[in-house]
Formats: sequence, structure tokens, C-alpha cells
Amino acid sequence: MSTDGDLLHTVTADDISNNRKRLGKLMVWGTAGLCAGMALWQLAYETGHIGNGFDNWRPILYAYVLWATALCAAQVIVNGEKGKRTLFVLPAALFVISLVVFPLLFALYISFTDWNLASPNGPQPNGWDNMREMWNDQFYWNALKNMVYYVLAVSVEYVIAFGLALLLNAQIRARKFFRVVFLLPLMLSPVAVSWMIGKSMLEVRFGPVSRVIREFGGEPSFFGSPEIARFMIMAMDAWTFIPFMMIMLLAGLQALPREVIEASKVDGATGWQSFKEVIFPLMLPVSVTAIVIRIIFKLKLADVIINVTSGGPGGATDSVTSFIFREYRDRSNVGYGTLLAMVYLVLIVIFVTLLLKLVSRWMERPA
Amino acid sequence: MKTDLYDYIKAAQKMNRRQMLKGTAALSAAAMLPKGAAQAAAHGNVRAEILKIPGVGAGSPTDSDWQKVGEMTLGATKENVAEGEFEGVELTFMGLNNQNLHNFLFRGFLKPWETYTGAKINWIDLAQADYNARLQQSIATGTVDFDIIEMGAPFEGDVLGKGLASEMPDWVKEQIDMDDYVDYLKAPVGTWGGKTYRVSIDGDCHTFAYRKDYFGPEGIAGPDVPSTWQEINQMTKDLVGKEDPLTGLPAHGYLDPLKGWGGFGFYFLENRAAAYAKHPNSPAWLFDPETMTPMVNNPAWVQAIQDVMDLIEAGAYPTDQINADPGTTAFQQFLAGTGSMLMWWGDVGSSARTSDTSVVGDVVGFGINPASDRVYNAQAGAWEDTMNEAPNMAYIGWGVYVMATVEGDEKKKKAAWSAAAHLGGKDLSLWASAYPSGFQPYRNSHFQYDEWEAAGYDRAFIEDYLGSNADSYNHPNAAIEPRIPGIFQYYSVAEDELAKGYAGQYGSAQETADAIAAAWEKITDQIGRENQIAIYKESLGL
Repeated sequence: MSTDGDLLHTVTADDISNNRKRLGKLMVWGTAGLCAGMALWQLAYETGHIGNGFDNWRPILYAYVLWATALCAAQVIVNGEKGKRTLFVLPAALFVISLVVFPLLFALYISFTDWNLASPNGPQPNGWDNMREMWNDQFYWNALKNMVYYVLAVSVEYVIAFGLALLLNAQIRARKFFRVVFLLPLMLSPVAVSWMIGKSMLEVRFGPVSRVIREFGGEPSFFGSPEIARFMIMAMDAWTFIPFMMIMLLAGLQALPREVIEASKVDGATGWQSFKEVIFPLMLPVSVTAIVIRIIFKLKLADVIINVTSGGPGGATDSVTSFIFREYRDRSNVGYGTLLAMVYLVLIVIFVTLLLKLVSRWMERPA
Repeated sequence: MKTDLYDYIKAAQKMNRRQMLKGTAALSAAAMLPKGAAQAAAHGNVRAEILKIPGVGAGSPTDSDWQKVGEMTLGATKENVAEGEFEGVELTFMGLNNQNLHNFLFRGFLKPWETYTGAKINWIDLAQADYNARLQQSIATGTVDFDIIEMGAPFEGDVLGKGLASEMPDWVKEQIDMDDYVDYLKAPVGTWGGKTYRVSIDGDCHTFAYRKDYFGPEGIAGPDVPSTWQEINQMTKDLVGKEDPLTGLPAHGYLDPLKGWGGFGFYFLENRAAAYAKHPNSPAWLFDPETMTPMVNNPAWVQAIQDVMDLIEAGAYPTDQINADPGTTAFQQFLAGTGSMLMWWGDVGSSARTSDTSVVGDVVGFGINPASDRVYNAQAGAWEDTMNEAPNMAYIGWGVYVMATVEGDEKKKKAAWSAAAHLGGKDLSLWASAYPSGFQPYRNSHFQYDEWEAAGYDRAFIEDYLGSNADSYNHPNAAIEPRIPGIFQYYSVAEDELAKGYAGQYGSAQETADAIAAAWEKITDQIGRENQIAIYKESLGL
């Protein structure tokens, strides 16, 4: 039995022969070579360098699965008991890599092609054409500008959510009832919200809200002007997701140490002073988390817009996602649409990273 | 027949048992004719008999009814296929499952066919929203996993243009009697390179629906129903400030949808533009067939856009019209009593008497796409002061196509075509026209109003309603959309640019039209200009 290394979790003795180790390595490298060789062969076939190849890439996928299986098996063959521990994680890791990294790389390739599903030529690399087109695409920049408005609206949502959380944390009548009621919008799908509210309650002619406005002598128009239409989209989205922020903040409020708040009262702090100097600073970590998650939700905003305004009037309510949806679904413009999505992904990564950096610096602690 | 049309007709004519018996008695009397005459009339008898399943006004047909109809209409199949001839053949059929129609009916119709021929059909059911993406992905990735497809004619460029379909054998043409098709469904529709590929099972066009109570001696819009777009525009402006005779709310004239609808909204600008731009001297009215240069920014199209902008400027539309898509204009406005004129597919005004929110059932009338008192001659580059009518055959209608996957296996190929021919059979299609199926009449024989009357339908209503469809279908200057790859991409991007134009973000109708043209040029370049030119010419029969 080996007496080296981590013995704490070792159950059985490992006495692995060199032949066994060689076999394991041979399995891994052999199947890897097979997979790479087949991929290169197919690539040569598809690019017209050789005359024979497979009808599609499925055999290469099978070779990849074979390699992954061999890699897993080789862990045990080469490392014995230690390899079994690796085996707990390795399949999951390979699975994630297969479904995230590969598609991402494929998407990166697609985004630099002119792939339109209606084109008989399939995806053809077109260099930086898509990037240039994006640069001149007023619809995309307009959608990005709208996203700035939508993200800024999170600050207002945060204030409302904080207020509601404070109310629900206070000793009010029927507190549990209100907690449930205020959570209800979050349980609705945004698609349902867009139909029930955007397309029904706010319907100009027979929607109940319109009727009330008309009763008071007004002329209802919810999606007629760009500003009001954008506001209505923000309001519907906020109505759905304010409860999400509220419940996070409420959980934070309930976790606050009572003695600190009581000490501030003993020291003579007013309600406002207590909130400003004690509660709000203590709530910052929760607040930041709630805001960041909400912003991430907001960056995906599309369903309400697609259903209610289709991005109109004149693109005033378009989000990046709803615009990409149109490029993909209505125009089958896969190459350009993928590039827009990749650029958006990069922008989001940069934005969220900067946001977290700023927050951590502001709070003087790692975010 | 579309479900809502069927419900509408039932409601419109207030069908009762007496009428039902009247129709049945007439059919029974015909059945008692001498033997020789009966043989000659056997074909007619099948038509009359299937129209009794389950009987107009006797509730919606069920799977057993579909199977009965499929069984009774197998005669044509039996003439070309021996019993058990396709034993061991398996086919895959891809189609829609809208409103539990389409594929659901096909299953019932083909069940007796499967029993007789011995073939087996596997089904791929798709929601309408998933259809385009599924089809395009199958084509683009080379994974066509179906042998028969239910497909709209606008996709013919994508499928036929790429050689993915199987050419129709001559025996199928005979079996389905293609000469009976209404004019616009004849070649070039359904054909490619002189070869025929499509078994039509549906027809589509936009027809004019109007409120009768707006017109007449006391009508607020004037004594006569407008017959030109110029009149419609003037009436729409003149109605500003008046009161709707039915609802007491503000009166409105023509309802243009100003918001996109996944590309389908462009058909509604086409309605206006067809009258201005579709000159009888050429089938082309969207692109120059020699260069694929868009015609969408020529004076005719600009006039159509300008008309809409003028009505926006005049405040002639209902509030928030900028956010109204075609679904809104039809179902939330026209049927609910807002507005007096509308262009829509032939089956939509049919909800007038059956929809809970409809208030216009008793005052709705129908006609073909209004004319223009001048037409733009794109070849001469000048307007001509002549009256021009051009009904818009929007979407053209569904058909059944056999894919090239069956080539190389004669037995399978014959089986696939036999199944397609059964679904597009002359008699079966009459039943599909008369009962909820998702399909409109599309054969001249479907407009034999005697058959409808004998089956129990109200003749006056059928003549009025279906007459507008028949007149559009057989119009010599019908505007047919190009069956080129990616046609809905063009429509979709045009919707985006129109939305900007209508919102005032472009300086003029011309600028808006130029933006559409520029976007269309990009799409053409992306898909491949030379290829598009060839396919466009082919689709126009040039």
C-alpha cells in the first residue's frame, strides 16, 4: 500500500502497475487523436480539400463522447482510488464544457459569417462586415440607448421596493396577507402580464383603465408617444419585478441585528436618522445584491416589449434582446444576430464587472 | 373552411332543422335518379353525401367525421393504387396544429388511406410560430426529416428553388384535376422551372370589409361605398369629428395597422400599393426582375406610404393606432365597432356575428381590394390616369408538397404523392371548404353555390361572402407575392422602417421608402443577388 499523498480519504490500496498507467494514457491519447483526426478529416472534406468524408459531423460527436468516456475511465485506470474521486466531478465538468464552451466558440465563429438561413450558400466568413453593419445600425444603437433608460429605472424600482419592504417589516395590520399579495405579480409570467395589462387593461377602447380615464374626461393613450410607451413598458416590468427586490430587502431587514437599531433609539435617533445612519448602511450588501440581480434581469427584458409594442413606436421601446429576436425569428439573420448577441454579452460582462468593482470599492469590501 | 367562418355562417343564416332537411331532401331526390344517370352523377353524389357529414349546423366535425370523409373520397386513390400496394412504406408528414385543425384533419382523412394502401404515416405537428424557424433550420442544416410537408406558397423559393421537393407525377395532376384551380393558383404558383410541385389545399387573399351603416342616403360617410383608395382616403379624412352610428363613439374610416406583425403587417401596405403599383403589363411589383432592385421606393409605393402618413397627420385614426397591429385593427377595432373599412383575409370578417366582442355582424359587407384612379407604370416610369384594380393574394395559401427524400424509392414516392393527392382531392377539398378545416375554397368548383345551398347554406350570404373571394382569385390583375427565399425577411425589415416613418423619424414618405429599399438591397446581397434574380423570375413565370 502506498504511504504517500492524501491517505485520509483512501479506502483501498492502490498498487498501479506501469502497464496499467500506460494503458490509461493510451486510451486518452488514442481517443483524443481519433477525435482530432476525424475532425480534421471532416474539415478538409467540408472545405473541399479531400473527396471523401462523412455526411455530417455526427461521427465526430460520437468520437468526442468516446474520448470523454475514455478520459473518465482513464482516471481510475491511471490513478486508482484517487481517480474515482475525480470521477465524481469530471463528467459534470465535461458536460458543462460541452454545452457552454463549445457553443460559445461556435457562436463566435457564426458571428463572423454572413449566415442567413435563406441563403443557399450557408455560413460564409465575412470578416468584420457584421461589425461594420452593427456600427451603422441605428436600430441596434437605439436599442442600446433604450437599455440605458431601462437600467436606470432600476434605481426607482429600488426605492419603491425598499419602501414596501420597510412597510412590510413594520408592525402593520394583516402583514402576512400583504406580504403574499405584494408577491403575486412576481408569480406571473411577463408574457401573461403583457397580455393582461398591456393588451387588455390598457387597451385604448374597451380596457378598464382607458374607460376610467375617459370617465374623467381624458383621452387615454398609453403607447402613442415614445416617452409614454417607454414609461408604460418600464411600469409593467417594474410591477412584475419590484416584489423580487422587495422580498430580498425584506429578508435583509429581518436579518438586521435588533440591538443596533434599539441602541440608536436609546441614543435618541429619530426614525429618519435611524434609517439613514444605521439601517440603510447595514442594508447595503443586500441592496447591492438585489440591484445587481435586478439589472441582470433587466438586461434580458424582451417578452413584454415583443408582445405589447414590438419595439415601437418607431423603436422607442425596443430592447437589445427584442431587436435580436426580430433579426433571428423574422429575418433568419443568424450571423448578424449572433454578432449582436456576442457584442451585447461582452458589454454586459464589462458593465457588470465595473459595477461590482465600483460597489466593492464603495463598500470597502470585496463584493 | 376556417372555424370562425363556419361559426359565422351558422350564426348568420340561423340554420334550423327545416333548412337542414330541405337540403338533405334535395340530395336524396338526386340519389333516386335512374341507374345510368346515377353512375354519371356518382361523383356528384359523393360531394353531396360528404357535405352531410356531420351536417351544416350539427356541431363541429370530429375525428370520426374526418375518417368518414376520408373513406368516402378514396375513389380517386383506388383508381391509381391497388389495395395494400404500399405495405411496409413509412412516411413522415410535417404540418401545423393550429386550432386543432390542419394535421388533426389530415390524420383523419388519411386513416382510411393508410388502411387501404398499407402505408404508415408518422406525424410532426408544429405550432404556427415555430413553423418558419423549423423549416428554415431543416433546410439550412440539411436535416430534412420529413417526406411530405404542409407549406405556404411563399416558402416555395426556399424549398423548390433549392431542389428539395419532388416533382409531381402526371397521374397526380389528373387525380386532383388541377384545371379546376382558381386562376391565381395555377402556374406559376406551385411550379418551378416548368415543373409542378404543389397540391393546393387552400387559397388566400385580402378582401375589403366595410360597415354598411356608414353608407347610404343617411350614411355619415356618403351615399356610396368607396371603390378607390382615393375615395377611401377622402372619406376617412371627412369622418374626423363625426360620431359612429352604432357605438356613439368617434367615427373612423379605413383602419391601417401601423405596427408590425412579424412581417405579415406588410401585406396591409401592399393592399394600398397594389392598386397603385401592380400594372397589368407586368407581374412584378416589388422588385425589378432583372436586377432585384426594390420597387418599394418608386412613386406608387411612396404614394401608398404617403396616404397613411396623411391620415396620421389628419388625426383620422383611432387613438394609439401607432400601436395597432393587424390583429388589433380586425378584432379589437373593426369588429368591436371602431372604424368602418378594413382589408383582411377572407375569413376574418367572418367573426362578425360569432365573436363575443363583435357588434357589427348585421352591418358588414364585403368586396374586393379597392382600385386606384391612376396606376404607376414602372416600365415607362410614369403615372397613367386609368382605373386599376389589383387584389392582393396575400400569402397565397397552404399546399402539400412531397420532398425529394422519397426520390430513389419508387414505392415510397408513389405512396407520398398518393397521400398528397388524397388530401388535395377535388371532393375532399369541397368538404374542407364547407366545414372547419383551416382552409378556404380554392377551386372553381368550390363556388358552385347550388351545392352549398343543397347542403343547407343560405345562398344569398354565400354568394356575397365567397363571391368577394372568387372575384379576387380570378382577377386578371391579381397581385401575387414573389415566392423568393427569405420573403418574410424583406417584409419584417420593411415593418421596422415603416414604424420609424409613421413615428415621424424620417422626413418624408420617400425617405421611409428609400430606407426600406436600402434594407432590402442588403438582404438581397446577403442571400445572393444572382440567385434571387433567377428565383424571382422563375416565381413570376418570366
